[in-house]
Amino acid sequence: MTETGVLLQQVVNGLSLGAMYALLAIGFTLVYGILELINFAHFNVFMVASFIGMWALQLLGISGQSRVLTGLALAGSLGFAFVVTMAAAGVIGVVIERVSLRPLRGVGGTAGMITTIGVSYILFNVILLTVGAGSENYPNPLPVHRWQLGQVVVELKEVLIWAVSLILMAGLHIFVSRTRLGKAMRATAQDAEAARMMGVDVDRVVVTAFFLGSALAGAAALIFGLYYNYTSFIIGYTAGLRALTAAVLGGIGSIPGAMVGGLLIGLIETLGGQLIAVRWTDVIIFSILVLVLVFVPAGLFGRAAPTKS
Amino acid sequence: MAELEESPASAPARPMSGSRLRVATLPLVARIPPRVRSRLAVGLLALAALLFPLLHANDADIDSAANALAFAALALGLNIVVGFAGLLDLGYAAFFAIGAYAYGAAASFQLQPEWSSFWEPFHWLDLVARLPGPAGGDVVHFQVSFWLMLPISAALAALFGVLFGAPTLRLKGDYLAIVTLGFGEIVPIVARNMPAVTNGAMGLNGVAAPQLFGYSFGISATPYYYVGVGLVALLIVTSLRLKESRIGRAWMAIREDEIAAAAMGVNRVRYKLLAFAIGAAFAGATGTFYVAKLQTATPEMFMFPVSVMVLVMIVFGGIGSVWGVVVGALLLQMLQSWFLEDLSQWLHGLGRLIDVAWLRHVELASSIELIFGVILVVMMLYRRQGLIPATRPMPALSLDQQAAQIQRGGFATLPVISPQPSPETGSLLAISGLTVSFGGLVALREVGLVVPRHGVVAVIGPNGSGKSTLFNAVTGLVTPDRGSVVMAGREIVGLPPHRVLECGIARTFQNLRLFPNLTVLENVMIGMHARLASGAAGALLRLPRTRREEEEARERALAILALFGNRLVPRAEHLASSLSYANRRRTEIARALASNPTLLLLDEPTAGMNPAETLELAEQIKSLNNSGLTIVLIEHKLDVVVSLADQVVVLDHGEKIAEGRPETVRNDEEVIRAYLGRSAAFA
Amino acid sequence: MLSRRAIILSLSSAAFAGVFVGARGRLLAADKSVTIGINLPFTGADAHDAELIKDGAMLAIDEASAAGGVGGYKIEVMQLDDGTATAGQYDPAQAATNARKMVGDDSVVAAIGPQMSGSGKAMSPILSQGGLATITPSSTNPDITNPKFAAQYRPGGKAIYFRTVTTDAYQGPNMANYFADTLKVKSVYVLDDSGAYGVGLANAFEAQAKKRGINVLGHDQLNPKEADYTTTRTKIKQLNPDAIYYGGVAQAGVKLVKQAYDIIPNVIKAGGDGVYGAEILKGAGFPAAQGWYATIAAPNVLENPDAAPFIEHFVKKYGQQPDNYSITAYDAALVILDAIKRVAASGKEVTRAAVRDAIQNSHVKTLQGEVSFDANGDIENRVISVFQITHNDKYPSDDVLHQYKYVGVAPASS
Repeated sequence: MTETGVLLQQVVNGLSLGAMYALLAIGFTLVYGILELINFAHFNVFMVASFIGMWALQLLGISGQSRVLTGLALAGSLGFAFVVTMAAAGVIGVVIERVSLRPLRGVGGTAGMITTIGVSYILFNVILLTVGAGSENYPNPLPVHRWQLGQVVVELKEVLIWAVSLILMAGLHIFVSRTRLGKAMRATAQDAEAARMMGVDVDRVVVTAFFLGSALAGAAALIFGLYYNYTSFIIGYTAGLRALTAAVLGGIGSIPGAMVGGLLIGLIETLGGQLIAVRWTDVIIFSILVLVLVFVPAGLFGRAAPTKS
Repeated sequence: MAELEESPASAPARPMSGSRLRVATLPLVARIPPRVRSRLAVGLLALAALLFPLLHANDADIDSAANALAFAALALGLNIVVGFAGLLDLGYAAFFAIGAYAYGAAASFQLQPEWSSFWEPFHWLDLVARLPGPAGGDVVHFQVSFWLMLPISAALAALFGVLFGAPTLRLKGDYLAIVTLGFGEIVPIVARNMPAVTNGAMGLNGVAAPQLFGYSFGISATPYYYVGVGLVALLIVTSLRLKESRIGRAWMAIREDEIAAAAMGVNRVRYKLLAFAIGAAFAGATGTFYVAKLQTATPEMFMFPVSVMVLVMIVFGGIGSVWGVVVGALLLQMLQSWFLEDLSQWLHGLGRLIDVAWLRHVELASSIELIFGVILVVMMLYRRQGLIPATRPMPALSLDQQAAQIQRGGFATLPVISPQPSPETGSLLAISGLTVSFGGLVALREVGLVVPRHGVVAVIGPNGSGKSTLFNAVTGLVTPDRGSVVMAGREIVGLPPHRVLECGIARTFQNLRLFPNLTVLENVMIGMHARLASGAAGALLRLPRTRREEEEARERALAILALFGNRLVPRAEHLASSLSYANRRRTEIARALASNPTLLLLDEPTAGMNPAETLELAEQIKSLNNSGLTIVLIEHKLDVVVSLADQVVVLDHGEKIAEGRPETVRNDEEVIRAYLGRSAAFA
Repeated sequence: MLSRRAIILSLSSAAFAGVFVGARGRLLAADKSVTIGINLPFTGADAHDAELIKDGAMLAIDEASAAGGVGGYKIEVMQLDDGTATAGQYDPAQAATNARKMVGDDSVVAAIGPQMSGSGKAMSPILSQGGLATITPSSTNPDITNPKFAAQYRPGGKAIYFRTVTTDAYQGPNMANYFADTLKVKSVYVLDDSGAYGVGLANAFEAQAKKRGINVLGHDQLNPKEADYTTTRTKIKQLNPDAIYYGGVAQAGVKLVKQAYDIIPNVIKAGGDGVYGAEILKGAGFPAAQGWYATIAAPNVLENPDAAPFIEHFVKKYGQQPDNYSITAYDAALVILDAIKRVAASGKEVTRAAVRDAIQNSHVKTLQGEVSFDANGDIENRVISVFQITHNDKYPSDDVLHQYKYVGVAPASS
């Protein structure tokens, strides 16, 4: 492989990684846009969802690397797994909101954020104490296909990630821009008080944001499991932190910002690892984040200046 | 415990009714004056802390307690950042690591450069030793004293705090949280990837034990415990003294309302950096203590969970409450390292006794993180103020204190307001060509205005006409696109809000920006921020000058409150958030007066007041003017405008459409069309 | 200061502690029991491995108890957790506290643990002061038993930190020799998992590999909490080495095995004992794990007739496959039990000093052959066995005994 070939291959790697971060980052951004709350529970909603996706596939008799499906059987079982995982993750998100965050609505400061840290700890330990700390051999019904495009190898799995991410993001875009509820969400994100006065049911909007964000985290979790054939109780932290960084980099509260931020973080991670060293990945990511925030305090796509006003 | 927080000086201000109630229930304790009571409690606590190793000679438990003290010290430091200044720091363990590795490198076998004459002076100072090296030549062995490294590590961590904070502290709270989290990630990675200094993942070897008068602390836990007690005691005193100083008030003002704090003269960047630096210094010193006690360190000891746990500790104990966070840290840390296993054993015993299988096998220790998560959520939902809340219970009011005495004829006496009556005449404030736009929207267009010395100018106009924007532009809260604002001959456009206040301009806010969780008295004292001088050293050492200044400030604040008769004085120790709407307006005016302004900008001072209260306040404003203060007010009530103003300026859609004597303006056709035509209120 | 402290201690122990110790002492005399301390990080990220180690040790202790105790003594266990929520994993500060707990309880005559060298560094001075021997089944950092650091880690003089596992000083270098001699590797890319064990192993390997003229194309670190190793994979593919060597435990190992599979097919892949175990087989599965080399710091377990029944018992009792450290923990417990037995048989009182001396003079037959220790506490048997994962579909795919094929001994450096 030539130097350019390697870099292109790292770009392919980065785009796959970035697509997952983007899906996860949207969850942070949706909730932040409406409640101005950084939802640390999202880290481990993602983790729990990866297990739910695994159990859904196992329910269909697909476990480990043993069964490879094609055609309709593949589409059907993946469809089932996506629906179950996204719905379950969405419900978990809604339950978290109802039980631990709604009573805190209107309480200023850091109370909400600290609560979500607590919820995150609870989810983490529930999985640790029930499932255990081992690594899971994630079901993999996908056939292996590779395409050699010049010096770059693209795998079927990667194409699947991009396709699913694009479909979900397009769906979200249509939902937010076309539907009544989606418009209400945007209005609430702009100005919650005005939206409330105009008759927007803010509670419903908040629940929707949590459901959608968590469902997208569910999709990201299933993609994650299928791509790496792996899950474990620890996956929430690093993935969540990267996605949160992506959301902030893009301008937290902005949906396009989360998408672009996710892809950027994915690319920074792979290209940084290639050109510098993997051991410095986090240092590179956070240095870039600080630099961006110093010069563009609202993030790349942020709306408001991030100083209190 | 709550009494311990109170400054001794504030104790006598407590109204009697509250304590009378307690005399009935707790005769013995209540008969001791609060000041003595708090000293007694602290004394008992100190005695218990000193005697503990003697009463409970279990090396492991003393060790647990010493570790818990280290976490109490961390909690105290984070409390300054999060609790006092309201800056959410999720990477606090980074400073802990910096302090730990600073001592680790300065007193271990890790760094052994070759001996050269450069090291002679250090050798003479006993900071390094000369040892035969493995390769033949001599090497330098660092052996800097623990006691010397404590302040050095603190300073080093503070330096990192400032370096790191300077570019990021301007960010909004949530952004800051993410950036600090990133810093918390980076520091252990750097420690891992710099094995030359830290020995990387393998961990430091042979970190020296502290020595005192030639006696090495060695391995027994007891001497470390006493160092821990000393450290925590020092940090408690530091925290309490800072909290009750001008600095502490500035921090809490930033926490409560950054904009109002800036408008009251607090230099936000400087005080945030100071909080970050002091918080980091606490962690740095603690890191040195911790690594000296453990005599080894690995990067894994300083990861994200540490930052989160310290946050859990202060949330549990009570954010902002000095004693609360200490208790929170001690309880949680000792729960996991000491009590939990006993509790598990006890449950197993219970399980055997009542023959319940799961009780016999339950291992609480492995569920500790789950327990902490539950604690965090439950505390946030049901007891956000923590075990020992930072705010004191409010003294109850007696009946006559509740009954307001209506004052007529303005303020009776005004010796506390001394606006340096100036012999000069002419304009005090001259605004010209002021243009402010937000995106495409022009909020002010080429507005000019002259405020004569000792005059009263009213700014009127329909909602959205740019009145408040005018105030914001003058006070530096928004930066105008063009134009000039000259205050007493000095251009002030471009100055940050706290500098504008220093020029003698104080303001109130239309939508009320008091510091809700501070007392009325504290609110007013924050108004004096720019007029006081004492710094950190004065506050920590309680220098006579500082104490005198504080005492005078306090008296003056009370005197300013007394201007409003019995409306505010009985409520001086009440939280601002508990006040009635009208009293909040009065407190805001008192806070503005406290800064000793020459020009007072009042933004709808009578909004929400009934006619009697309005009349009372209008007369009070008039008397302020009579005593020499220049006043600009935004007002909707025409009778107030007519009775107070020498001159009226009318804004509409960001443009000045008329100005002149109230009577003239009232009859101006354009004004009637633009303003009166649309507003029935102006009748 | 010194004298005051001495007074304080003597006063307090006489007045308070003495009462409890006295009561406890009487209790002991009645049913003649001794306690073995077990200190492992049951909280946090390492909990799973800690559990497997504990299970290994407990299997030996339970077997001894079922046989009526050892030398007339009932064996009690004091189980301590040096993982804390504060650290989120093993916590050296808690390890130090636990060392004090064990030292402070006179009935504790020996200990098993710690899992991590970071904890070991904090515990060793305290255990040395208290004269309490511990046997670690898994901590491999050479510093702790290195005579160079004796003043730091054993101020009491005698060795108290014994190991039933060799230090990084052998496993990595011997595998480098095996690479050069047997596998004829010319170039290698080295990875570690950023933990103390992995870094130590990989660094030792790298140093010896360079000495043997193998071209080390690079050395990078995997973040065990990160899932994506495709960056590293692509990097390796570009450099096209003959082999990769991974120093680290299964947590990152599983993901590396998965993601390295068939993207870099013709590369020899090898690791230390972190790659030997059910976790790798179960987590990575076949065909991903096929062909990986792994070493263990013991003679071929397969040749030992006791190995099969041990694994059978283990699986039956705990419902999962033992890992390599379950075996070394089992052996550590065997050594301690044997030492207690010998002390009791000699007619002396079973004290921790006597047990320590007995451990020092051990010649115990264990799953990994005869265990004996040198003067520093390191295991004398330094045979490094090399295995290759070779799928045998007659057995369950996570059956360690049958999926790892013994391929020989990694030669020691001369």
